[in-house]
Amino acid sequence: MSTGEEGHMAMADRGSRKRRVGVKKGTKAARNKKQKSKPSTSDRFKVTMKNQKLFQKRARDYNSDDDEEEDDESKKQPEVTIREKIFSDANMGPNYEEIEEEDNDENSDGEDHGEIESGITKFATDGCNAFKIAFKAIMKKTKGDDTLGPVLSAHKHLIGEKLAEDEAEKKAKGQARKAKHLIAEKGHVKPGSYLDSHEKILIGVATKGVVKLFNAVNKAQHAQKGLNPSRSKDAKVLKKRRKEAFLSELGKTKTDTKVWHSLHISYSLSFIMIYLESLFLSRLMHVETS
Amino acid sequence: MGRFKNNKKSRVIVKPIPKKNQEDVSHVTGDKIPKSFVFSRMKLPGPVKQLQMDLRKLMLPYTALSLKEKKRNTLRDFLNVSGPMGVTHFLMLSKTASSLSLRVARTPQGPTLTFKIHQYSLASDIAQSQLRPRCPQDLFKSPPLIVLSGFGSQELHLKLATIMFQNIFPAIDINTVKLSTCQRLVLLNYNKDTKLIDFRHYSIRLQPVGVSRRIRKFVQNHQVPDLRNLQDVSDFVTKAGYGSESEGDEEAATVTLSSDLGRVNKGSTKSAVKLQEIGPRMTMQLVKVEEGLCTGGIIFSEYENVDGKKEKLKKKQDEEGDEEEEEEDSEEEGEEGSEEDGEDMDED
Repeated sequence: MSTGEEGHMAMADRGSRKRRVGVKKGTKAARNKKQKSKPSTSDRFKVTMKNQKLFQKRARDYNSDDDEEEDDESKKQPEVTIREKIFSDANMGPNYEEIEEEDNDENSDGEDHGEIESGITKFATDGCNAFKIAFKAIMKKTKGDDTLGPVLSAHKHLIGEKLAEDEAEKKAKGQARKAKHLIAEKGHVKPGSYLDSHEKILIGVATKGVVKLFNAVNKAQHAQKGLNPSRSKDAKVLKKRRKEAFLSELGKTKTDTKVWHSLHISYSLSFIMIYLESLFLSRLMHVETS
Repeated sequence: MGRFKNNKKSRVIVKPIPKKNQEDVSHVTGDKIPKSFVFSRMKLPGPVKQLQMDLRKLMLPYTALSLKEKKRNTLRDFLNVSGPMGVTHFLMLSKTASSLSLRVARTPQGPTLTFKIHQYSLASDIAQSQLRPRCPQDLFKSPPLIVLSGFGSQELHLKLATIMFQNIFPAIDINTVKLSTCQRLVLLNYNKDTKLIDFRHYSIRLQPVGVSRRIRKFVQNHQVPDLRNLQDVSDFVTKAGYGSESEGDEEAATVTLSSDLGRVNKGSTKSAVKLQEIGPRMTMQLVKVEEGLCTGGIIFSEYENVDGKKEKLKKKQDEEGDEEEEEEDSEEEGEEGSEEDGEDMDED
């Protein structure tokens, strides 16, 4: 039992400490807070059995409705409203209910309980009050504050330094990135105007080449146009022409066996009937695949 | 909650994925169709990565468009893969703090040409600078033609460069080629004074000549013209419209097509060839030619400050053997180049 109560006390202490925003351990504010909380603890230690009953009741009533407490509630209306205001931000729904109930409940019991109650409520309001005061203090401060935002004065220096450091780093990085970018883009030229004189010359040269080619193609293909490959007479003429071309090409090259074989195969593929040297052909196939 | 085991659905049906087999050997000439890899062995910064992508698109369709390379891949790995896949050329981009360089090499032991890129423009930059950028759908379905100009036939390294570039793109046979497949053009122009090579990539367009502008536009665009102000249709047809400034150039660029090309360009009528630039634009300088694939003796070096030690170490006894092979190779390629007269023009 006692341990439970102590445990609860410790929790309560920690709870109140939690609500004091931005207060570190060794600072004045923490010391003040400790002193503040101490009297409340002295009050609390008086309560042992009653507290236990209280907690049990709390546990029971946590999920139940407030029908029983309505008469007492009406009495306590003004106080309730004030407490509501305080508790509205801090999400203290269940706690608030419990305190409310216990207040009503214990008041009916007697003075002793009233004292006890005041101690407990004090604990509750204390914590909330502290939070409220701290919060309001910060909010007031930030009305005319600069870009750093709501920061306690002790930290401003540190944060200022860190920001300066960050900026310096960013600058250095930015410069390094720019240099890298310049190296990457070296030689990359975006053409300003599409056609300047040099380009026109080049296009002219290319066009001449294409015209030559197309004319050659036209000549070669036009000559063959009239000849239909399916007609035997024409087929012979075709063969003759191609054979001539083939032989002339052969004559040009060295007698390098590799070249000769490959040329031979190309024409064999298209004219299977021409050369009756099928044996030769098969041998060539061997050579190519090996 | 039990586990459902639906016996019918657990059977996995595997559909055979139809494999697209690219032909290895051209039907026409019987040579291997040259395929290429465009990659880099280091991490490239933004615009250079885009340049690499543009180069890949340029080399379509005989290249790996979505080639993924990892940091730990070495040249050896690429060589190993290139064998079974029939890849013949490597184009390697590399960027250092001072320069951006492109290396063109022939696998497996071929010579390596190193070009230093002085300036480049991306395909997207060029499209932005144009009023009407043009990219028809099947533009990249067939390989480009190549035009080399100003290289001459005197200097060895230039000769090697021409041969190399001629062989990067597959040859065409003028007897059988369909003009509709010649949609793109790569131009390499050598400037003797500055020793710079201009690299350009164009798309070819044919326009019928002798037809008034309005009718041509009407037929091409299928847009109904505005006849509000005209009394008669003949006004529309016979109106003497102003000539565009490029019509003078068209005279020189007129060809007679052998066959129909689309709805507009009929065979045996005159059409004009119009080029519009797409793709990357580069200004490069040939800096180094090496015998092997990024190794080997240096045949030509622009700066003449060759690190003697390293190169001398590599000159072993079988170097002569390599040189002979290279000579044979290049000669052979030279002969093939002259046969394929339809493909490329040398102009001085």
